[in-house]
Amino acid sequence: MSTMTLYVDKKSFIHHVAPLTKLLYVMVSIAITYIIPKLEFVLFVTLTSLLILAIGKVFRKILPILALSILLIISIIIVQGFFHPENQTVLYSIGFITFYKEGLTFAALLTLRVLNMIMSFGILILTTKHDELVEDLIKKGMSPKIGYVLLSVLQLIPQMRATMGKITDAQRSRGMETEGNLLVRVKAFFPLIVPVVLNSLHNTRERAIALEVRGFNTKMKKTFLNLSKEYQYTKTIQSILWAILIVTIAWRILS
Amino acid sequence: MSKKSMWTLKLSTAAIALIPAAIGINYLGKLFAGLLKLPLWLDSIGTVLASMLAGPIIGALSGIINNVIFGLTVDPISTVYAITSGAIGLVVGVMAYKGWLKSIKTAIVIGLVVGLVAAVVSTPLNIIFWGGQTGNVWGDAFYAFLVSNNFPVWLASFGDSIVVDVPDKVATVIVSYLIFRGLPKNFISIFRGSDKIEEL
Repeated sequence: MSTMTLYVDKKSFIHHVAPLTKLLYVMVSIAITYIIPKLEFVLFVTLTSLLILAIGKVFRKILPILALSILLIISIIIVQGFFHPENQTVLYSIGFITFYKEGLTFAALLTLRVLNMIMSFGILILTTKHDELVEDLIKKGMSPKIGYVLLSVLQLIPQMRATMGKITDAQRSRGMETEGNLLVRVKAFFPLIVPVVLNSLHNTRERAIALEVRGFNTKMKKTFLNLSKEYQYTKTIQSILWAILIVTIAWRILS
Repeated sequence: MSKKSMWTLKLSTAAIALIPAAIGINYLGKLFAGLLKLPLWLDSIGTVLASMLAGPIIGALSGIINNVIFGLTVDPISTVYAITSGAIGLVVGVMAYKGWLKSIKTAIVIGLVVGLVAAVVSTPLNIIFWGGQTGNVWGDAFYAFLVSNNFPVWLASFGDSIVVDVPDKVATVIVSYLIFRGLPKNFISIFRGSDKIEEL
């Protein structure tokens, strides 16, 4: 069954690190770039994330994810570069456009933070199977019901995406217009979305019955189908990450 | 509308199974809006419908899980707005249970409130994470206009969010309300957690 995933199946050290350790890395690396607002430091963290991606052999896969946020990054550079309230020092001007030093420094900081956020998430999602992540979260105490919801979404969306083409074709064959002025297109939205909604609500009811008869609501302790994998250096890496977080907080308070 | 309190944490299986469906509807709503080149996202129809059907808790959960899932599969940036989506579900759920789902006019009021709440919740997030912008061309142009006219950053950022969120959320709630009104009655009773399906 196809699921929605960006996981890249490769053999690397990063692939053998526990999912929760990688999740901790995501949180720590994002947090410290906000705790210490120094350009050099944030650049260092971003480069670290980049290095980890390279070790995990997934560097090329992060590029399309970065491309999604390119608009936000361009907007940050332009708007902060021109309009940052503390703008004073003129860096250079092209015609009537003037870039200021303060604004561009701030924009660089923000951009690096965004890049780091995306890349550290990338480490998690490109090198971790999501069912392993969810299973580990459940073992740590997350409700199995939430775990079910998370995993079933990932299976449901490709199914629904497949029905999308079917519905569009069916409604077009009944004479629905999907091109033209705004009113025509707004009108076309309803015949498209309503079958999706009815279909999925109907399936929801059947799924609820199927879950009930399989003991979804039972209070018994749940067991796991898959053996838990052995991961490397879990304790060591996690303690280092916690130590880094504590040191940065201490640095922030003391300086 | 319901004898049970809307804040109950004893969620029925049907209500839990509704969450993945809601997220799927969100996703297709966005795809269809893109397909028809509508100038809106319409990417929270599922969350809004889930709130109307099953109350604020399920609505908020749908919203939060929606953004977490998209953060983990498509676009990490969307995780940041999980709180906003949760708030949208919460507001719609509460207003629906308080009886604001009577007519298209009251639905528009819900849409306005939701848009306002979404903007209020998003503004601090936008300021903390990207210095106040949203990444939406029109919103950011408005932001730049306000900042260059010496408005404070938080107000400019709030203006940015308002321009982006209110029209989209009003449209989303209207669409969801029209769909909700047309749903067969037995669909609605399942998710209200009343009785039958729980006692299989």
